[in-house]
Amino acid sequence: MTRLLERPLVHFALAAITVLVLPLVLRSGTLASEILIYGLAAAACNLLLGYTGLLSFGQGIFFGLGSYVSGLLLLRAGWPAPVMLPAVALVGAATATAVGWLSIRRQGVYFVMLTLAFSQLFYFLAYTFSDLTGGDNGLLNVPRPRLGGRALADPWSYYAYVAVLFLALFAVLQRVALSTFGRTLLAIRDNEARASAIGFPVRAFKVAAFAISGAVTALAGALHAMLIGVAPLSNIEYHTSETLLIMTIIGGGANLFASVLGAAFYLVAGDLLSAIWPRWLLLLGALLIAIALFMQRGLWGLVERAAALVTRAPAEGAVPEESRP
Amino acid sequence: MTAASPTHAPASAGAFEPALAAEGLGVRYGSFVALKDVTLRVRANSVHAIIGPNGAGKTTLFHALTGRIRTAGGRITLGGRDITRTRDDDRVRLGLARSFQVTSLFATLSVRENLRLAAQGRTPWAALAPWRRVPEHDAAQDTVRALLQRLDLGPVAGRAAGELSHGQQRRLEVGMAMAARPKVILLDEPTSGMGTDDIGAMTDLIRDLGRDHTVLFIEHNMGIVMNISDTVTVMRAGQVLVEGRPAAVRDDPEVRRAYLGNMITGDLR
Repeated sequence: MTRLLERPLVHFALAAITVLVLPLVLRSGTLASEILIYGLAAAACNLLLGYTGLLSFGQGIFFGLGSYVSGLLLLRAGWPAPVMLPAVALVGAATATAVGWLSIRRQGVYFVMLTLAFSQLFYFLAYTFSDLTGGDNGLLNVPRPRLGGRALADPWSYYAYVAVLFLALFAVLQRVALSTFGRTLLAIRDNEARASAIGFPVRAFKVAAFAISGAVTALAGALHAMLIGVAPLSNIEYHTSETLLIMTIIGGGANLFASVLGAAFYLVAGDLLSAIWPRWLLLLGALLIAIALFMQRGLWGLVERAAALVTRAPAEGAVPEESRP
Repeated sequence: MTAASPTHAPASAGAFEPALAAEGLGVRYGSFVALKDVTLRVRANSVHAIIGPNGAGKTTLFHALTGRIRTAGGRITLGGRDITRTRDDDRVRLGLARSFQVTSLFATLSVRENLRLAAQGRTPWAALAPWRRVPEHDAAQDTVRALLQRLDLGPVAGRAAGELSHGQQRRLEVGMAMAARPKVILLDEPTSGMGTDDIGAMTDLIRDLGRDHTVLFIEHNMGIVMNISDTVTVMRAGQVLVEGRPAAVRDDPEVRRAYLGNMITGDLR
């Protein structure tokens, strides 16, 4: 069972099951769509944080940018969604390449500070160019994609649209994580100096990880703008970067499905708790402290431990021969 | 005697095209001069040892040769090609690989994966392919299989590198340098911290490597140095003190004075 949990196919199956189960357990199609969208963005964040060891506060840039670019292309250029989405991915990848290329010049604290600075920079750019972005109000009236001549106005029909893209992009990210590229990222995370000493151009690998992560994050941002009908300023805020990082850490590192789990947990807990207590984020803070202190492998670590208990096989070492997907 | 004029000619006198050479190499850390005017010629398919007391600049010389640090002056050539300004990862592609004095592995990855990555490092841009799966049968995997056997790491191939015993980690450390199938292999204290049994195996391995590679290694154990080296370079205070055949170096009064008889472990008869 514990071995089974390391198989990539099992992870994809878990993602597919999530897609099927969410409509059965949630009443809100909007919340269900949000889980998939943020799950995707968190998985892209994991490619940097969990696989490459880069704690970047820049993910909100790509998410927000995805929202704005999708809105602009749909509203101003009149592009249909199937044409708009690849363009958004390209813009996300290009921006992430630029931000990554400059940020990875420094390591550790200075890298983190650079990504924070970029995050602020892009926020104020969006705030300043209100002709394009709508400033404080956001870019309003972003339309839903059309299918068979009519817009996907119903939350659950849009959920289906999101679900298909979610599964496709999840599979792409899995492929990336399992590739020679993804396995090299793990080496860079473990020991950057050695990775360079055995011949890998570490910077090129980091920038490529940024580009892929940025493309997927921007797509998630586009899906989010179409979901809520607006590209809000808050999507490009520093807070979005923070939320994505928290989801990734709650879920667990170097594991794409764990990020989906983290996003689902964060959003469902937020939905339930905010109805009871407006200061629910306080509880989330306590949970983060607990994870940082006692369960650094996140929710996925709990799943693995539970699986080990069920099969009564002790989770020895818990390090697989190959990387996890 | 100055550093630039070694007392002894290299093992075999006369001109030869060195596999790796440094001319007038200098390295500064701030105002501290770590290497000063170091000239070194490593003959192809030979085993060349570098010895010297702690702080002599041996590891700094390795860092400079492999491109981990910038040099303040001088020239480095690999097989006649100037690599002074070449980046460290590019030097691997040109046939220069190293191991580290302090074990430096991918601790959470398996032993097999550590070696595979090191073998892949020879063609790093081919790895920059987010869609390509790791092939089960290719040159890199063949290298990995051969190395696992040669280093006797087969039984622990699936374990995380961080879980290995010290001796196994040291063997893997050297294996990582071998995996790149380099022309010139630099080993920084390959036997450091090893038990007696492991030292014997490592000595044999280094001697073996000298047959089809050029080996440059730093070592404190004089028994090993005297037994398997073709040439020995003695360093002190960032400069080359003496260079020559093991026996000649052993009997050199300068060397004896530099070491004061007790700076090094092992047998310096």
